[in-house]
Amino acid sequence: MTSRLSTVILNIVTWTLVAVIAFPLVWMVLTSLKPQSELFTIPPGFLPREVTFEHYRILLTDTPFLRYFVNSAILATSTTLLVVTVGALGAYSLVRFRYRGRETLAGLVLFTYLLPSVVLIIPLYLMMVKIGLSNTLASLVIAYTTFSLPYALWLLRSFMAGIPEDLESAALVDGASRMGAFFDVILPQALPGIISTALFTFILAWNEYLYALVLVNSDQSRPLTTGVMNMLITAFNIDWSLLMAASVMMSIPLIIIFAFLQSYLTRGFGAGGVKG
Amino acid sequence: MTPLERRYALLGLALIAPTVLILTAVIVYPLLSAIYLSFFSIYTPTLAGKAVGLENYRTILSSAYFWHALWTTFVWTAGTLVLQIGFGVGMALLLNQNILFRSLARSLVLFPYFISTVVAVLVWRWLFNDLYGILNHLLIAAGVIDMPVDWLGSMPNAMVSVITVGAWKFFPFVVIAVLARLQTIPEHLYEAARIDGAGTFSRFTDVTLPQLRDVLSIVILLRIIWDFKEFDLIYLLTGGGPMDNTRTLPLIVYQQAFGLNQMGMAAAYAVAMMVVMLVFMLAYLAYSRDRSTP
Amino acid sequence: MVNVIFNKVQKAFGSVVAIPDLNLEIGSGEFVSLLGPSGCGKTTTLRMLAGLEQPTGGEIRIGERAVNNVAPGERDIAMVFQSYALYPHMTVGQNIAYPLKKRGVPKSEHPARIKAVADLLQLGPLLERRPKQLSGGQQQRVALGRALVRDPKVFLLDEPLSNLDAKLRAHMRTELIELHRRLGKTMVYVTHDQLEAMTMSTRIAVMHQGHLQQFATPSEIYNRPANTFVASFIGTPSMTLVEAEIEMAEGAAFLLVGGQRFPLPPSLVMADSRHRRPITLGVRPEDISIASGEAARASVKLVEPTGHESIVTLDLGGAHFVMRAAGDVALRLGEAVPIALRIDRLHFFDRESGQRINTDAERPAEFRSIAR
Repeated sequence: MTSRLSTVILNIVTWTLVAVIAFPLVWMVLTSLKPQSELFTIPPGFLPREVTFEHYRILLTDTPFLRYFVNSAILATSTTLLVVTVGALGAYSLVRFRYRGRETLAGLVLFTYLLPSVVLIIPLYLMMVKIGLSNTLASLVIAYTTFSLPYALWLLRSFMAGIPEDLESAALVDGASRMGAFFDVILPQALPGIISTALFTFILAWNEYLYALVLVNSDQSRPLTTGVMNMLITAFNIDWSLLMAASVMMSIPLIIIFAFLQSYLTRGFGAGGVKG
Repeated sequence: MTPLERRYALLGLALIAPTVLILTAVIVYPLLSAIYLSFFSIYTPTLAGKAVGLENYRTILSSAYFWHALWTTFVWTAGTLVLQIGFGVGMALLLNQNILFRSLARSLVLFPYFISTVVAVLVWRWLFNDLYGILNHLLIAAGVIDMPVDWLGSMPNAMVSVITVGAWKFFPFVVIAVLARLQTIPEHLYEAARIDGAGTFSRFTDVTLPQLRDVLSIVILLRIIWDFKEFDLIYLLTGGGPMDNTRTLPLIVYQQAFGLNQMGMAAAYAVAMMVVMLVFMLAYLAYSRDRSTP
Repeated sequence: MVNVIFNKVQKAFGSVVAIPDLNLEIGSGEFVSLLGPSGCGKTTTLRMLAGLEQPTGGEIRIGERAVNNVAPGERDIAMVFQSYALYPHMTVGQNIAYPLKKRGVPKSEHPARIKAVADLLQLGPLLERRPKQLSGGQQQRVALGRALVRDPKVFLLDEPLSNLDAKLRAHMRTELIELHRRLGKTMVYVTHDQLEAMTMSTRIAVMHQGHLQQFATPSEIYNRPANTFVASFIGTPSMTLVEAEIEMAEGAAFLLVGGQRFPLPPSLVMADSRHRRPITLGVRPEDISIASGEAARASVKLVEPTGHESIVTLDLGGAHFVMRAAGDVALRLGEAVPIALRIDRLHFFDRESGQRINTDAERPAEFRSIAR
C-alpha cells in the first residue's frame, strides 16, 4: 500500500512540476486565441471565453510576418544544406583518414564550437560590409556557419565513428573506391545521424538572433527572430495576442519536429552535445 | 608513406578542405581580426580609425564599468547555473521514474530548450507584464504580494527574473544529459546496493551520484561557457537595464560596437571577455580529451 | 592458380613495430591458416594482403603481380570479416550483388551468378531479407556468398567462425573444408583457434609477436614444433615444458629430469654433443603414462576428469607433468605412481633460444648442425 501511495505522490509531484514548466507555453497558445478585450480583464480568465483566430489572420495579412517566415525558412534550409554537406565530408575525413594534423584539427573544431559569437561579430560585420553582402540572407548563411559547422562536424564525427570500420573495409575489398564506399555504405549508415544533425542545425539557424540583429537591417531579408522583435519594438500599442500568435507560428517547425522526429533530437544529444 | 597511403591522405585533405576554408574565413580570420581591432579606435559608421596601442585595454581595466559588468556576468552565470543544475538533475531523476505518460512529460520538459529565445522572451515578458501579467495576478491572489511587482524594471527583481528565465530555458539541457546517463546505469548496481542494505537515500548517494559525476562535470563546464556568453536572452528581456544592472559582458560588446559606435573598444571588451572564458574552455577541452583517450 | 608471397614485409604503426620481417610463401590452391594469440600480427598480415593496411617495407605479391600499391578493390581478392560486415541497409541479394556491381559485371549476368552462389550456400529463401533478420549462421553464409560471387583469385577469411556457437562452428568448419576442396582456390584464414587451424589447413603459419614461428603442415606443427612457443601453443592440454639436461657418457645418452635418469636410444644420440647440455624438455600429455613394473615414481598432484579422459598433473622431483589418462583412472592425490615416457616422442629445445634441437629421424642433416 505504501508503495502505491508513493507512486501517486511521485506522479503528482512530477506532473505538477511539468505543468509549471509548460505553463508559459500553454499561456502563449491561450493568449493567442483570446480576443484583445479578454487580455485586460481583472482577474484574467484561464481559458478563452471566446476562441478567435483573428490574430493569426492579422499576422498573416497585415504584417510582414509571412515575409519573415519565408526568409527564415530559406535561411535555415540553406544553412542546413551547406553545413551538413560540408560537415559530412569533413567528418568522414576526420574519422577515417590518416594525415598529419588531424587530431589538432579535431581539437580546434571543438574549440571553435565554444567561441562566443559576440567576439566574431564585429570582424564579420566589417567583412560583410566590405564584400557587399550586408543586409542579405547570404550574409546570415555565412555567419551561421560559425556556430553550426563546428557543431555539425562534432555531431557527425561521433556518429560516423560509431559505424563499424569493417563495413567500409568490406566495400573497399568488394571493389569500391573510398568515395564509393562513402556513398554506398557510410552515408546510408550515417543517415539517422545526418538527419539528427540536420534538425539541430535547422533549429539553431531558425532561432538565431544576434547575427540577424547586426547583419541585417531591412525588412526584405529579416528573419523571424529579429522581425518579430521589431514588431514589438516599433508598435505604438503592444498587441500581446498578436505577438503570442507570432510566437506560436514561429514555433511551428519545432512542434512538427517534436511531434514526429523527437528521437533524432535525443540521439543527437547523446552523440555530440554532451559526450564530447 | 606508400603511394596508396599518400593518395588516401590527399583525398582526406580534400574532404576536409571546405571545412578548413570556411572556418578560416568565418572564425580564424575574424578572431585574429578582433584582436587586431582591439588596438584601434574606430568609429563604427565611418569605420575610420587610428591605432591606439593598449589604450583600449587600459581604459577597460581601469573602468568600474568593466568590473561591474564582469561581476554581473558572474552573478548571472552562477545564479542560473545553480538553478539549471539543481532543477535539471531533480527533474531527470523524476522523469527516470515510472510515471504516467512519461514520454509526454519528457517532451513538455524539453520544449523550452528548443524554442527560440525570442519566443521565450516574448512569452515571459507577457507573463511579467506589470498590469496584465498573469504572474502578478497569481501572486496577489495567493497573497504572496499585495502590489504588482515590476519584474524587469527594478533591482534585484530584474536579475532574479533573468536568472529564472535563463534557468527555465536552459535546464532541459541538463535533463537530457543526465537522463541519458541515468538510463545507462546498470540495474545490478542498485540490486547489489539493496542486498548490502542501502536505503533509497544511500542508493542515490552511493550509486547514482558517482555514476553522474562525469556527465555533470561536462554539463557544468558547457553550461558555464554557454551562460557566460549568453546574449539574446538578457538583451531581449532587460536590454541590460535597469541602470546597467543586468548588462553582462556580451551586452557591453554589442553596446560599444553598435550603440556607442566604438568598434575598437568593443573588440577590446570581446577579447577581455574571451580571456576570462578561456579558463573554462581549456578546462572543457582538457576534460573531453581525457575522456576520449582511454 | 595463384600463389601469395610476403617478401621481407614490415609493418609499423607509428613507432610500434607490429611485424618486423615477414617472409611467407603460400602455394597456389593452399588453405593456409595464420594462427596465433591476439596481437601476434596475424590480422595485420591478412589486412596487408587485402590492401586495408599498407606495409612499411617489403613486398607482397599475388600471383605475378606486386600489389603494394594496388587498391583493395583491384587486387582480385575477396574477404570474409569476423563481424561479417554485411551492409545493413541492403538485402541479402543486394549484398551479394554489390561486388558484381562494383566490378562492372554486366547487369544481365547478376541473377545467374547470385543464383549459383545462393544454391551453393542454400541462401535462396533469404535473398529478400535484411542482414538483421538473419541468424548468426545465416549471416556468416551471406558473407561467404558475397566473397564467392565474383570468383576472386584469393579468399581471405578473418576469424569468420568466431562469432558462432560451438555446434554451428563445427558444422561450418566442415562446410568450409568442403568448399575449399570444391573450388580449389587459394585461401588465407586467420584464427586464434588451433582446432580450426589443425582441421582445415593444408599448412599453418604460427605467429607470435609479429614473428613467423613455424610454417608447416598441421601434423608437422604438432609432432615437430619448431620452438617452445609453438610447442606450448598447439595442443590441449598444452605440452609440458620443463627444464632438463642431456648427458653424454661413454657413447650412451641420458635424459636428466626431476632427479631421474632416462636412457635415450641410439637414434637420439648426438654425434659430437657436449658432455652435459641444459635443455627444455617437451612432453605431450599423451606421451607420458603410468608404467607397469619398476619405474621412476611421480606423485599425483591433481586429477581433472572430463568424462572420456582424465587430465592428471604429476610431480616428478619438482617438475610438473600433465598426463592424459583414462576417464575412469583411479588415482589418489599424493599417491606415488610409476611413470613411463615415450622416449621417441620427446621434444628437446635449446634452453636459451627455445629452438628445437631434436635429431628428427627424417632430418639427419639438421640434427648435426643443431646438436653442435
